[in-house]
Amino acid sequence: MLRRYLRLLGVQLRASSLLAMQYRGDFVIEGIISLFWTATALAPLFVVYRERESIAGWSFGEALLVIGWFTLLQGILEGAINPSLTGVVEHIRKGTLDFVLLKPADAQFLVSTARFLPWRSINVLAGLGLFVYGFHLIGRAPSLVGVLASLVLLGTSVLLLYSLWILTVAAAFYVVKVDNLTYFFTSIFDAARWPASVFRGVLAFVFTFVIPLAVMTTFPAEAMLGRLPWTSLVWAVVGSLLFAFLSRRVWLHSIGHYTSASS
Amino acid sequence: MISVRDLRKHYQVHKRPPGLKAALRSVIHRTYTSVKAVDGISFEIKPGERVGFLGPNGAGKTTTLKVLSGLLHPSSGEVRVDGHVPRHREDAFLKKIMLVMGQKQQLLWDLPPAETFELNRAIYDVPRAQYKQTLDELVTLLELEELIGKPARQLSLGERMKCELAAALIHRPKVLFLDEPTIGLDVSMQATMRTFIKSYNERNGATLILTSHYMDDVAALCPRVIVIDKGLLSYDGGLDALVQRVRPEKRVVLRLNQAVAADSLAPLGKVVTHDNVTAVLQVPQDAVNATVSRALSSLPVQDLTVENAPLEEVMSELFAESKARREKVGA
Amino acid sequence: MSARSTLRALPTLLRIGVSEAVAYRAEMFVWVLSTTMPLIMMALWTAVAREAPVGPYGSQDFVRYFLAAFVVRQLTGAWAAWMINYEVRQGTLAMRLLRPISPLWSYAAENIGAMPMRLFVVVPVAIFAVSTVGWKSVPETAWGWVFFLVSLFGAWLITFLVNVAIGTLSLYMESSTKLMDVWLALFFVCSGYLYPVDLFPPVWRTLIDWLPFRYQIGLPVELMTNAHGFGDALALLGRQWLWVGLLLVISLGLWNRGLKRFAAFGG
Repeated sequence: MLRRYLRLLGVQLRASSLLAMQYRGDFVIEGIISLFWTATALAPLFVVYRERESIAGWSFGEALLVIGWFTLLQGILEGAINPSLTGVVEHIRKGTLDFVLLKPADAQFLVSTARFLPWRSINVLAGLGLFVYGFHLIGRAPSLVGVLASLVLLGTSVLLLYSLWILTVAAAFYVVKVDNLTYFFTSIFDAARWPASVFRGVLAFVFTFVIPLAVMTTFPAEAMLGRLPWTSLVWAVVGSLLFAFLSRRVWLHSIGHYTSASS
Repeated sequence: MISVRDLRKHYQVHKRPPGLKAALRSVIHRTYTSVKAVDGISFEIKPGERVGFLGPNGAGKTTTLKVLSGLLHPSSGEVRVDGHVPRHREDAFLKKIMLVMGQKQQLLWDLPPAETFELNRAIYDVPRAQYKQTLDELVTLLELEELIGKPARQLSLGERMKCELAAALIHRPKVLFLDEPTIGLDVSMQATMRTFIKSYNERNGATLILTSHYMDDVAALCPRVIVIDKGLLSYDGGLDALVQRVRPEKRVVLRLNQAVAADSLAPLGKVVTHDNVTAVLQVPQDAVNATVSRALSSLPVQDLTVENAPLEEVMSELFAESKARREKVGA
Repeated sequence: MSARSTLRALPTLLRIGVSEAVAYRAEMFVWVLSTTMPLIMMALWTAVAREAPVGPYGSQDFVRYFLAAFVVRQLTGAWAAWMINYEVRQGTLAMRLLRPISPLWSYAAENIGAMPMRLFVVVPVAIFAVSTVGWKSVPETAWGWVFFLVSLFGAWLITFLVNVAIGTLSLYMESSTKLMDVWLALFFVCSGYLYPVDLFPPVWRTLIDWLPFRYQIGLPVELMTNAHGFGDALALLGRQWLWVGLLLVISLGLWNRGLKRFAAFGG
């Protein structure tokens, strides 16, 4: 079973790389644009830190780590997660999702692995660059334990992002004109470029429990700095697993809705 | 193979009259109407049969096909396909069936069809050796050699449809649902598709259900037809028998050596068309022999054929009939 | 197409635009949710201003500014670039061209038609702003209201015309939406959407004053929150409408040339 799915993943990855090779001209443009976006994402940071040394307990260098994580995850989101999202939306609009549902393999797996944009890995590199610059400004290197913890959190963050993505796709089954969904998804994710302690009250609650952005970027940054409590790490792991479970349920429910209500 | 008992599929549809006011009102209060896409139909299909679904647009043909393939859950009724309940969508079931939709495509748009085939091979878990054999066969029969290496977007509609069909058959489905497979294709491509579909059915003993607007498809492929109209089954049986029932008259087509007056045709039967040297007469079945001999003796006949009424006409008459009947019942 | 028949058709186009907006209200809601960036920035800047005001802005001022920015963004939305791009790729633009009225009018009507629905979101936000941070959240004078509305319309026109110009480029090249991405990135940085433009370093300020972006969000927001006196406001409005005129020439020029190309090569 597992081997079959691994093989399937291999075939899908191959198709994606073939596609990417076909459009390698886009590579340059896409690369430039995503670097450009990263640069503009830094602009508010510069404006804010022109006024203050530290904001909500985060110095400029430390805040750069959060943006680094944001950029890195954005690369994963746009390279491995979003393209398939657009694919599902397209399937629903054209009515070709039927073909996916007719296949004797898990539909969620099939749509999730349908498309990758390998070029977007540039963002991952940009994120790593930001880490280096951030630690250079702070003036010390991260501890080994910190790096290990942040790697665990990389896993939970990707799982969380993916689950959020599945939830968004599930919405596409109910809303007819869904082009906005990708945009919605990225714009919500945008808030993750700020350290979570900036947000108070309702927003703090929303970004921790409803859309756990804090967990995705602030936690790993704190882990690198060696100031993330162990309990938070455990919570991140447990929470992301719960989120994954929930999104799976919602997905199955939506497929049920689709097959019982569509025409 | 396929058994359907008292299948119903009803939808709740949100209805909104045109106009701004109505649009604003519908924000607060939506009115729903129930659409009975399929309203209690039953039939049995034996393994290896080729069956045509006929009916006007919106009759419930596609809905029935989607229920049979497990894409839609029936509102009520019992459906079995080779012992499986389609809506459970078991892998074993899905590996036995395929649905081809002429208006929708599963080929990966920017990649050559060969990649889609390969993907389907992996998804359907087809053993390498069998895959190679099937593919070789499909490539030969459908003449795909030149096509499978080009990106799908560069293929013409007909070429793409051939590849669609091939992609659907990689796993050698035992049950094949074809929803308007020839739509938009030119006449010769339609013929190619038909020949291929028939030979697939004969070689593999696959069961086949087809819907089409082109009566030629149905006439060439389906010895048996099921007519669905407004979600109800209005006929199930042989195609010839259906034509007999709706249009018991035959057509006598005359080609003449020289023009004749309309008066000389009238006593022979109902004149359907008449211009100079050709004429088409409509006569009751039992009068065919008499008419033919009278025509041969009284007219300068060069050539004479006896035909059934065109299927298109038969169908439109059938649907008009059932519509009239419904309206009478309604009144 | 005469101006008179266009004018006669316009009410119907607008009405259909409104009906469409009503039909797609769920999508609009999603869009509104995806434009909540000002609220995030509000949280951020009020956190910064917690200890001491930033430039002329205290916590309250930031609340006022970003609520206004949210309102302005809602009311100046345009998405013609994506529509044009999509229709060019799908070949449906040809259908629009068959009609005896310029497609630009229908795009405009569709975009404006969404505004009444948006009011359902915007008015409560404005009322909320007034009730929490006072009457300074909306123009205090009659001329203030007039200027605000004029700037709002100008801002929409700039957004719409840029959309048309970039959308039209899809007749020349494949990746015009990428260009829109670049435009959007600049828009976010320079428009005053993420921070009031006064907080920019002075050198940059001058540049931004001459770029179109700040007239899309910043100016209407400043006019809504009474940031300028009569004279300054008038001068800024003048610059905004200068951009409207310039973009009108550019976008119509591109559009007409693009259509000639479209007619020559086919869709």
